[in-house]
Amino acid sequence: MLEAAPEGAISEYLSAPLIDRSRDIHAVPLLSLDFETSGLDASKDHIVSAGYVAIEDGMIQLSTARHELVKLGGSLTEQSVVIHKITDDDVSAGLPLDEVVGNLLHALAGKIMVAHHAKIELTFLTQACQKLYGVSPRFPVIDTMRIAKQWLERRNKEIEQGDLRLFNLRKRYGLPMYQAHNALSDAIATAELLQAQIGHMDSSQNLPLKQFLS
Amino acid sequence: MEIELQEIRDFLAEVPPFDLLSEEALNSLVRKIGIRYIRRGNALPVDTESPSSLFVIRQGSVSLYTAGNELYGMLTEGELCTTFCVDEGRNTFEARTTEDTLVYSVPCSVLFDIVAKHPEVVAFLKDTPHRRLNDAVRSSQQKASQTATLMNTPLSQLLSEDIIDIEHDSSIYEAAVKMTEEGVSSLLITDAGKLAGIITDRDIRSRCLAKGLSPDSLVSAIMTADPIHMSSNSLAFDALMVMTRKNFHHLPVIDDGKPMGIVTATDLIRQEGKNAVHITRSISRAETVEALAEVSKMIPDLQLQIVSTGGSAEHVGRAVTAVSSAITRRLIELAEMKFGPAPVPFAWVAAGSQARREQSSHSDQDNGLIISNEMKPEDAGWFSQLAEYVCGGLDACGFIYCPGNAMAMNPEWCQTQEVWTGYFTKWINTPKPKSLMLSSIFFDIRVIYGEKKLLTKIQKKISKLTKNNQLFLALMTVNALHHRTPLGFFRDFVLIDDGEHKHTLDLKHNGIVPIIDLARIYALAEGLTAVSTIDRLKQAAGTPSLSKDGAANLLDAYEFIGELRIEHQAAQIKKGEKADNFLSPKQLSRLERAHLRDAFKVIQTMQESLSQRYHADRIG
Repeated sequence: MLEAAPEGAISEYLSAPLIDRSRDIHAVPLLSLDFETSGLDASKDHIVSAGYVAIEDGMIQLSTARHELVKLGGSLTEQSVVIHKITDDDVSAGLPLDEVVGNLLHALAGKIMVAHHAKIELTFLTQACQKLYGVSPRFPVIDTMRIAKQWLERRNKEIEQGDLRLFNLRKRYGLPMYQAHNALSDAIATAELLQAQIGHMDSSQNLPLKQFLS
Repeated sequence: MEIELQEIRDFLAEVPPFDLLSEEALNSLVRKIGIRYIRRGNALPVDTESPSSLFVIRQGSVSLYTAGNELYGMLTEGELCTTFCVDEGRNTFEARTTEDTLVYSVPCSVLFDIVAKHPEVVAFLKDTPHRRLNDAVRSSQQKASQTATLMNTPLSQLLSEDIIDIEHDSSIYEAAVKMTEEGVSSLLITDAGKLAGIITDRDIRSRCLAKGLSPDSLVSAIMTADPIHMSSNSLAFDALMVMTRKNFHHLPVIDDGKPMGIVTATDLIRQEGKNAVHITRSISRAETVEALAEVSKMIPDLQLQIVSTGGSAEHVGRAVTAVSSAITRRLIELAEMKFGPAPVPFAWVAAGSQARREQSSHSDQDNGLIISNEMKPEDAGWFSQLAEYVCGGLDACGFIYCPGNAMAMNPEWCQTQEVWTGYFTKWINTPKPKSLMLSSIFFDIRVIYGEKKLLTKIQKKISKLTKNNQLFLALMTVNALHHRTPLGFFRDFVLIDDGEHKHTLDLKHNGIVPIIDLARIYALAEGLTAVSTIDRLKQAAGTPSLSKDGAANLLDAYEFIGELRIEHQAAQIKKGEKADNFLSPKQLSRLERAHLRDAFKVIQTMQESLSQRYHADRIG
C-alpha cells in the first residue's frame, strides 16, 4: 500500500514502524481522537472537526492537543449545529480537508489510535484517505467503548441504554464532568477514560497492546 | 489558545496562586500540562525518573507523609502539591494517592519559567501550606502586639527588670534609704529569698513616724505581712480588679514564692484605657444585678475595641473572660451579703469556654459548685440560693443560661467534692455518649471564686485516671471527630461562585471546636493541667501525643480561624447585629480562603492522625 500512496503525510503514516502487539500498553504511544461529523453515514456525510491529543509515557500531553475545523463547500445540517454548536461561519474559517487529515496522519504516525465508539473515526478517516489519496489504510484502534462493554460483560452486568456513553463511563470512574461537547474535549475525555480503564486492570502483570486492540 | 482547553484553563484559574497569573501566562501553563490517572494507594510521582513536577489535584486526593511515614497533610480537588518544587520538600515527603486520582502535572522548571514574571506566585509555590498559614498569622500578630491593652497584658510585661526588696531583719531607716535611692514608693520584704511582706511610704508615715516608733526598729514591725499577691502571668486587668476591690495601690508579683516585683495602680492606669478602668470600677461598685447588667452592655464594645486595635482572638477571649469572671465574683459577693456567709468552704468553678478563657460577647455560661465534704444537709439551701442568684445574674448580664443545663443551679452540678470526684471517676472508667459530652464541658474547669484546693485534689485524681488511658482517650477521640472541617465546602465554592450559593461556614463548630477537642485530648493523654487551648497545645508540643510541628500548625490554624471569627463578629457588632459564628465565604478574600483551607487541612490531618493513634475508626 505504501507504494500506491502519494508522498506526504499518508506515506509518513504508512512508513512508520509497526508497534509490537505484545508491548506493554503503558509504553505504547497513543493518540486519542474524536471527530465531529455532519451525520453518521461516511458515504454521504463528512468530518466537521477533528480533535486529538497524544498519550506518551502514560501521560496525556496537552502540548500535543489539536482541534481543527474542516472548511467545507456544503452546508451543515441543523442537527449537527445543535449538537456541536459549530456553525457554518466556524466551518468556513476552517482548513481544507486534506490539510486537516494530513496534520492528523502526521500526529498519528508511530502511534495507536484511541477513540470512543471508534467506528465513526475509523470509517470517516478511511473514507477521507480513499478520497484524498486513493488508499484505505487499516488503522489499528483501541476503542474505549468496547473495553467498557467487555468489562461489563465479563462481570455479567446488564448493560442498560446509555451505560456505554462516554459521559456515563467517566462518571463510573469518578472523572470530572466536562461541560463542553466538542472534538478536542471528547478526545481528552476519552484519553482519561482509557487511563482509568487501564488503571483498574490488574497491573501486577504485563498488559500487552493486543489485548486492547479491536 | 484552543478554546477547547478552556475548561482546564478555567479550572486552573480558580486554583490559588494561578488566579494571580496573566491570561497569557495561564494559557501557556495549560499547554504544558500532562494529565495522569492514578489508582488509589500509588506513589506520586508515578515515574521516578520524570523531572520534578508540580501536581494539581483535578479529582481525588493525595496524602503527604514524612520520612517517618507520619501523615503530614492531605490534598484534595483543586489543590496543589508543591512539595516536589521546593528544595527541602523533595526528600522530606512522600506522596500517595488516597483515592483514584486525576492529576495535572507540570515540570517545576517549566512552571517557574512561566510564572517568573509573577513574584507573588513564585513565593506562594515555594512555600508550604503550613508556612503560608504561619506567615499570615505572624503578620497579624505583629499588628496585635503593638496595641496591647490592659485586658491582654500579663503583669510580667509591666514589671521592671530590677526587683527592689530588702531583708526582713533590716531597720526601717535602711528601708527608707533604699526606697529614696531607688525612687520607689513601696518595697518588698523578703525572708531567705521568699516574700515576707510589703511596706509603702504610707506605712512609714502612719505606722512608724506617727506612732513614735524608732527608725532603728526592724522593718518587719511595720510591714503588711503575707500580702495579697498575684503571679506574673496574671492579667493586668485582674490585678486592677483586685486593687480596686481591696482599695490598695501596690500589688506584689510572686512566682512560686519568689518575688518578681510590684505593680502599682498608677502603672496599670498609665498602661491603658479608661475603658478597662471604667469597667473594673463599675463592676466592683455594682450593688445590684441590674447595675452589673448595665456594665456588661459594654462587652460587645470592648470586643470591638480590641479587634479594631488589632487584638487577636486570644486577646478578645481573655478580655471577655476577665470581665465575665469579675462579674461572677461580684455576684458571689453580693449573694454573700444577701444570704450571709457560706456555711462551709466552696469553690465556684467555671467550665467550658470561661474556664479556657475563650469567651466572646455572646457565650453562654457553664459552671458548677464544688462544696467542701463537711457540708451538712441543711447547708444545701444556702448553696442553691447562691447558684440561682449567680447564674441568674450572669444570664441578665448576657451570659445566657446553658442550653445543656451545665450550671451550678442544676442540683447535679452543685455537689460536694466527694460527689464530683465520683462523677469524674465514672465518666472516665465507664464512658457513655452522655458522659463524653459532659467530659468535654467539665474537663475544662477553673476556680473563679473560693477554695482552689477543692478543685486541685479532683484534678490530680483526673489526671491519674486519664493519663495513657487508651480506651477513654479513644472514645473521646471518636466523640471529637464528630466535628469535621468542611473541606468539601471549598470544592463546591471553587466551582459555584455565582449568587446561588447561600451556604455559610460555622467557624465555631467546624473550625474552633475541633481544635479545642484535640487540645483537650492531648492534655488528658499527657496529664497536663493547662486549661486554655493555646496553653494545652504549647504544653503538649513535643510529647508523644503531639509533635512540635503538629502543635505549631494547630496553633496557627487556631489563631487564624479565631481571627476570622472575631473580625466577623466585630463587623456584626458594628452594624448593630448580634454576633454569631456563621461566615459566608463571600466575605473572604481569595487569599483568606486559601489560608482558611490550609487551616482546615491542618485540623483534618491532626484529626486523622489522632484517629489512627487510638484506632478510633474501629470503635466509632
